[in-house]
Amino acid sequence: MSRLKVNGRSYSVNAAPDTPLLWVLREDLRLTGTKFGCGRGHCGCCTVHLNGEAMRSCQIRLGDVEGEIITTIEGLDARSDHPLQRAWVKEQVAQCGYCQSGQIMQAAALLADNPKPTDEEIITAMKFNLCRCMTYPRIKKAIQRASREIRNRNE
Amino acid sequence: MNKLFNRFLTSSRRQFLISSVAGSTTILFGMSSAHAVGRQVINLLNPSSPLVVPPNFHPTIWFTMEVNGRTTVHILKTEMGQHIGTTLAQIVAEELELAWEWVRIDYPEMTAEAQAAYGIQITGGSYSTHEMFDRLARSAAAARELIVETGAKLLDAETADCMARRSTVVDTVSENQITYSEILSSTAIEYKITEDDLSEVKLKPRENYKIIGRSMPALDIPEKINGKARFGIDAYVPNMVYGKIVPAPTRVGSTIKGIDDSAAKKIDGYITTLPLNFPIAVKTNAIPTALVIAENYPAAMRAANLVKVDWEVSGTSKISSQDILTEAKKLLTNRSKGLAFVRDGNIDRAKQDANQTLDASYITGLVAHASLEPQSALVQNVDGIWNVFAGCQAGHVVRLILSNFLKTTPDKIVVHPHYVGGGFGSRVYPMPIVLAAVAAQTLNRPVKVIFNREDDMGLEDPRTTTLQHLTALLSGNGNVIGLKHDVVAGWIGFELVNIPAVDNKGKIEALSYSGADHWYDIPNQHVTAFRNEFLESVMPLGAVRSVSNNYTVFAIESFLDEIAHNLKKDPLSVRLELLSGRGKNAGASPSKLYKHKFPLFFGIPGPAWKKWKFWPTYHASANVAGAKRLANVLRISTGHAGYGTRLLRKDTAHGIAVTAAEERGMPSFCACTAEVHVNRSSGEVFVRKLTVAIDVGLAVNPDGIRAQVEGSLLWGVSNSLFEELTVKNGKFVQNNFDKYSWQTMDNLPELDIQIVENGLYPCGVGEPATSVVGAAVANGIFNAVGIRIRKLPIRREDVLQALKA
Repeated sequence: MSRLKVNGRSYSVNAAPDTPLLWVLREDLRLTGTKFGCGRGHCGCCTVHLNGEAMRSCQIRLGDVEGEIITTIEGLDARSDHPLQRAWVKEQVAQCGYCQSGQIMQAAALLADNPKPTDEEIITAMKFNLCRCMTYPRIKKAIQRASREIRNRNE
Repeated sequence: MNKLFNRFLTSSRRQFLISSVAGSTTILFGMSSAHAVGRQVINLLNPSSPLVVPPNFHPTIWFTMEVNGRTTVHILKTEMGQHIGTTLAQIVAEELELAWEWVRIDYPEMTAEAQAAYGIQITGGSYSTHEMFDRLARSAAAARELIVETGAKLLDAETADCMARRSTVVDTVSENQITYSEILSSTAIEYKITEDDLSEVKLKPRENYKIIGRSMPALDIPEKINGKARFGIDAYVPNMVYGKIVPAPTRVGSTIKGIDDSAAKKIDGYITTLPLNFPIAVKTNAIPTALVIAENYPAAMRAANLVKVDWEVSGTSKISSQDILTEAKKLLTNRSKGLAFVRDGNIDRAKQDANQTLDASYITGLVAHASLEPQSALVQNVDGIWNVFAGCQAGHVVRLILSNFLKTTPDKIVVHPHYVGGGFGSRVYPMPIVLAAVAAQTLNRPVKVIFNREDDMGLEDPRTTTLQHLTALLSGNGNVIGLKHDVVAGWIGFELVNIPAVDNKGKIEALSYSGADHWYDIPNQHVTAFRNEFLESVMPLGAVRSVSNNYTVFAIESFLDEIAHNLKKDPLSVRLELLSGRGKNAGASPSKLYKHKFPLFFGIPGPAWKKWKFWPTYHASANVAGAKRLANVLRISTGHAGYGTRLLRKDTAHGIAVTAAEERGMPSFCACTAEVHVNRSSGEVFVRKLTVAIDVGLAVNPDGIRAQVEGSLLWGVSNSLFEELTVKNGKFVQNNFDKYSWQTMDNLPELDIQIVENGLYPCGVGEPATSVVGAAVANGIFNAVGIRIRKLPIRREDVLQALKA
């Protein structure tokens, strides 16, 4: 039994310690918003927050994150109303939607760290999150929009 | 008003039944349940007070109007990022005069009944809006007439005085009004719209459109940003087990001799390994596979690493990409193998008349779908019915194929639609569904098969590699009097409906050559289709976004620039001269309505298609004005980009190209001006900006169209600069995204997209713009640094080599 803290809840999980966190989230906790894309950390579909940092959950072993604070797309905002999620709707970003949880989680970690990223900083943070529908221009716009909103709120 | 009820009403055109609730003869507007019409059912809490199930108004298969005022539009198309449900719902809402906030969509299960009612269930070819527009608009308009007529009776008004607006019927004389909800709560309209109704109904003039033409937010986006959207890979049922394949040593042809799973047995949760030795002849991608079964997927992955499969290795294990190209070249030397795809004029006479000939060969590589959601499927048998939970682009294909593998009939198979995590053609051929179904039958348990990325890429059915040879015949006064185009391509096959060759000598898979039948007025023209069966013996080929247009348009549009440079003319003026819209390139007459048979290129397996019911549609021809629309978008694109007028930086230039994909019968006319920079020392090509104009006829949802064009263009850039699958030892070299790289957020070109809105019958938009990019970039490279690249993808090595030459 491993103990996991995900989205503010505690879970006991009966899975081998070397199981990738991705599969624990998807199969054991049925938090299927976190997606399986490549299994090797190349695509970013499985991005979650580990203690607030964006990480590829396919590359994290269950045994290594007991007691750490894990956030998935389902827990990013209780009402799915994070500034990024609002911006994503405003900019109509998602197409097929499969990579979008990972994109939003990656962007959320960026904005938490740097609420006013430059274009270059956005690209540096986001360029390893692949999108096969190529929604990149809208992802960029949505991050800029959310950034503006966060800054306006804080001012 | 009682006279209204329980009898047939005679209207000018039709009869339909309006009935009240049994026993009730009073209508009270605005009151709902107590007086609602409907079917009585027993109230389990209080049997003496029966409940009334309100009847929905379901005059057509395409939507259901509920007494609560809500209308649900039934989407038979697969949602894979194109927001097709929103577009189709807009068409219904427009003609049915619905308040948009009362519109919902759902995705019906694909059953035998559904198939009998809806006909073919396939999403592809960028066909959805084009295919559905007319039938949805007409069905909705006919339903609106019924509602208005009923509302008029209830208002005691003349139908002619009444109109519908925002889910309400209004009597324009008395100004009384009644909502759709009130109408349907007080009456039950029993009527099924007939084909006569559809052909007679009057559609709204487009200047009255309120919902079509507006960028309604996509109805599927909210659940795609909070993790709630359900893709095929997210399906679960109780008691299911998981399947993971052990990859074969070659893409096709290897068979299983034996399995040693002794090492896997120590994995907790491991169950068994099934040798699924499918007959190789079955063309469904279902190649022989060892399927490792476990209680959970991580266990299946661990076990799959330990299962040893003894393979009878296929003879294709010696084949590499170079062999495929060699065979293609050999094929071109044997003219008798060519099939006549286009035969216009007299090419031999043109040869005699020509002052000069110009030749060039073009090569394009294999391109993967590489959808981010790996293929998966869950199959569960419940009481003899096989339930398929998967994202798939072709429910009917799945039902037919599975019935063969399960040795049952298609009516025993139900496909439950799920979102698809990137389609692009990857979900037409359902290998994981076959594996899961056969395993579920063998094990008598629900089985979910998930491909990991290596499985998914290893089992790609990519876009064919091509070799194309073009010959231009030029007259002394600088005209193109003849064009010969030989295309060597592998066929997607799979019993697609092929078209007869022009000379009736053989059949051609039109899907693999579409685009070669372009819109330029060249009096003598031969397009000859060569089939690369050698390639097909090494791998099955698939339809990848915009399919053949990507390679045919690359070759033709590059070659037109070569012709222009040879004639010392501007590539833009050469194109505009040739896009005169004469003869066959004039397009269809705008007044002509035709019954649209299902497009030739869609997969309709076997002779079964003849038995299927096709819904008649009444399309105004989509290619009205033909080549002139292509010239128009070219002028817009080049004008907007400042082609020929802007000073660009060193080693930077504009290149242009046009496309009319997906096919001549349904062309979205698109032109691109690419601003391209070449780094002379590294050979790297940078696409700085794409200025694109696209004419899709009527734009139902402009922002949705824009999103699709953005995606298509970047796909085009990605295909042109980065993407290629190569073959070594009979299998693909690239098995994950470190080796198969594509466009990222880095180095994105600026996109300037003009949507040309002209109200003509709508064409598709999910794919066409993809195919315009390759040639525009190659032409830009030539204009920037003077080298001609005739190969996709454009590799820096090739650029460097050409620069040195």
